[in-house]
Amino acid sequence: MNVLLRNFHPQTLRVLTLAVVLLLVIVFFVSQIDNYFSPRTLNRIASSAAVILPIAIGQAIVVMTRNIDLSVGSLVGITAYVTGDILAYAPFGPFLTLFIALSIGALCGAFNGVLVAYGRVPSIIVTLGTLALFRTFLVEYSEARTITTDSLPKWVVELPQTTLFSVGVLEVRVMVIVALVAALIFSLALWKLRAARKFYAVGSNPDAAIMAGINSERVVFTAFVLSGMLAGLAGLIFLARFGNITVVAGLGFELKSIAAVVVGGVNIFGGSGTILGVVLGTLLVDTIDNSLIRWAIVSEFWREALLGILIMTAVAVDTFMARSYVQLRKLVA
Amino acid sequence: MISPPLAGERSTIVSHPILELRHISKSFGMTAAMADVSIAILPGQVHAIVGENGAGKSTLIKILTGVHQPDEGEMLVDGKQMQIRSTEDAQKHGIAAIFQEPMVFPDLDVAENIFISHHNLGLVMNWATQYQHANEIIARLGITLDPRRLANGLTLAEQQTVEIARALSLNVRALIMDEPTASLSAHEVDRLVQIVEALKMRGVAVIYISHRLEEIFRIADTVTVMRDGKHISTKPISQVTQQGMVRDMVGRSINHFSMKVAANAHGEKILSVRNLTRDGVFSDVSFDLHIGEVLCFAGLIGSRRTDVGLALFGVEPATSGYIEVARQPVTIDSPQSALKYLIAYVSEDRRKFGLALNMPIFANISLPSLKKLLRLFGLIDRKAEIAMAESHRERLSIRTPNVTIDVGKLSGGNQQKVMLAKWLETEPRILIFDEPTRGIDIGAKTEVHNIIRELAIRGVAIIVISSDLPEVLMLADRVLVMREGRQMGIFDISEATQENIMALATGQTAAMSQ
Repeated sequence: MNVLLRNFHPQTLRVLTLAVVLLLVIVFFVSQIDNYFSPRTLNRIASSAAVILPIAIGQAIVVMTRNIDLSVGSLVGITAYVTGDILAYAPFGPFLTLFIALSIGALCGAFNGVLVAYGRVPSIIVTLGTLALFRTFLVEYSEARTITTDSLPKWVVELPQTTLFSVGVLEVRVMVIVALVAALIFSLALWKLRAARKFYAVGSNPDAAIMAGINSERVVFTAFVLSGMLAGLAGLIFLARFGNITVVAGLGFELKSIAAVVVGGVNIFGGSGTILGVVLGTLLVDTIDNSLIRWAIVSEFWREALLGILIMTAVAVDTFMARSYVQLRKLVA
Repeated sequence: MISPPLAGERSTIVSHPILELRHISKSFGMTAAMADVSIAILPGQVHAIVGENGAGKSTLIKILTGVHQPDEGEMLVDGKQMQIRSTEDAQKHGIAAIFQEPMVFPDLDVAENIFISHHNLGLVMNWATQYQHANEIIARLGITLDPRRLANGLTLAEQQTVEIARALSLNVRALIMDEPTASLSAHEVDRLVQIVEALKMRGVAVIYISHRLEEIFRIADTVTVMRDGKHISTKPISQVTQQGMVRDMVGRSINHFSMKVAANAHGEKILSVRNLTRDGVFSDVSFDLHIGEVLCFAGLIGSRRTDVGLALFGVEPATSGYIEVARQPVTIDSPQSALKYLIAYVSEDRRKFGLALNMPIFANISLPSLKKLLRLFGLIDRKAEIAMAESHRERLSIRTPNVTIDVGKLSGGNQQKVMLAKWLETEPRILIFDEPTRGIDIGAKTEVHNIIRELAIRGVAIIVISSDLPEVLMLADRVLVMREGRQMGIFDISEATQENIMALATGQTAAMSQ
């Protein structure tokens, strides 16, 4: 234990633990489900995670600043639907489409950010409000129409099947790579960019952040804009993955993203967390989510309940670990 | 006008003030927080500022750090008239402040904590160089601290060091230290004194604010006394005596240092503790406590005295050992059970454990005694509740216009009294005080001491956990000394001296025979 504590940052320990848990979960399902370990299962989990991962990254940044973004699910719905609608009229290419999706997301995120950072309304209230607001806006906007595959440009429809490269029988889809690139960019940025360290600082001790001359309002605002933007990215991936978009698109993604974030070791009280952890958290959540469908013993209706249990367990474990870390540190020192 | 303070040992060097206040006044509404204050701060000197709470020290700090703007008067930095509009502004002029509660980022490592205020170090972090620079700055303070450690888990003293290093990294020229030693152990205070010496050598001016007079004599070159927002005196330390300083502070002559009341005749045994242990925290604490007795727990910070108190109050229950209250064996595993045996605990951390700051005084006082106020249908009798608060206000002379204002608006000393009132209302037989006078001024301190003695006389058995040795010697009938979770010995007050208590507390092998 001493050696562990001396040589590892608590976050490193957290990520290692998570990797082990993920492995155990996979081993468990392999033993329970016939033909579990197949390219099809892996692809399915990867595609599902490709939608959740960008949202979870944005959620992680928001949570680091001691806030929460409950509106991400509705945001995914809006971007998926509106982008699909725009593409139906004007079949733009991938880059312009990406720009549109990110802009829609960022705009909605900015709305959250202004109210939280400058309006000083607690984020749980603001985003609970916009969760309903954005969804209602979508319902009104859609006039109960559905975006269908045949109205979308060919590249969008083919995107889910587009394989960038293959490792043996495993085909790595473009969507998965897009999500992973986003993870890589944000991981690097949070580690290396001086400005990005302010997310940690503001969440770790808001008073000290002000004393240190950090513009906390701007930092929190930026976090929400990024969260919105990444939800926009997820919306685009969602659109490509399913093709048919109704007003319920992205419903419940706030729960999934928060689960991925807290399971991934981002402190729900702000100040700490890594994107690597979030990637593992997303994988764990999606592995469980997608495997339960095929596991005969438990009804798939338990999926959401399990997410809830996962969130509570992760936070409870974190609280416990944080307490023992400080005590152990004292004993070691 | 005041004469410029003499530079003590460096009087031969002609130095110009880094910072000068001329005729500064500041009012909040009708109250004048500062009236016509003029002070000059010289480089390489420790300028102590003393005064009771409400003397205007906090306002002074806030004006120097740009939190408040003066109504009148001028400020000079390096002889040039300047306005300090914000903390960043102050930082630019090389003025920084550290407070009793360190302002660190627990989730960031030491190096990042030091450099967080630097906004011009480039877009991309270079962790390796940052650790190297952090090491250099830490070395300049003459201490060792791993820059890779998370601030979470550092001791209060270490966190303070991080803050000083942060200020130093910003090329601080005037460092304000507000009660920096209030929570430090004697050893840690020594280290802080060393750091201050190192700062002086580098020509940094230190503005040192403290209630601990012994420390000021140890550390300061110049002492300024403030009272009621006014500048009373500024003298080189060689021309100041402790008695004179106290006289200036309170504006009257009180003999604070010889107030020991004769020990009480003890009544019967009320609490008996044997081999009380909390695994990994403290072990084998054994003592008896009698009615009307004051037992003080002395020791350094980290000696786990507070943990024994928390165990007796059931917050962090003991894992083994034997407790007897009024000759009945009892189990204390929660504050509820402690309250059942009429044990109360007045916490050191008023904000965290003691008071609901945004609730009115009366609601704070009645909180543990609400049962007494319940009437028909379980409704609370508000009139009786307020009357309850009023009676305590009078008895403990809590200074407030009425009992319906929020506790958070009171001064530290008065908050302490509200907390005391709250527990007195439970009519405890055993009352545990943890650092009852930490961070409150001399006047309020004396009042709290009198209250404690009076309670003892009225038959309450009292445990006082205190780091303030003069306080221990003044209050105690017996002194229990702890060190690193172990009980080192119990002195009768007739045998206790600062020296033999410290010897046990620091674990000196040549400790007194007792």
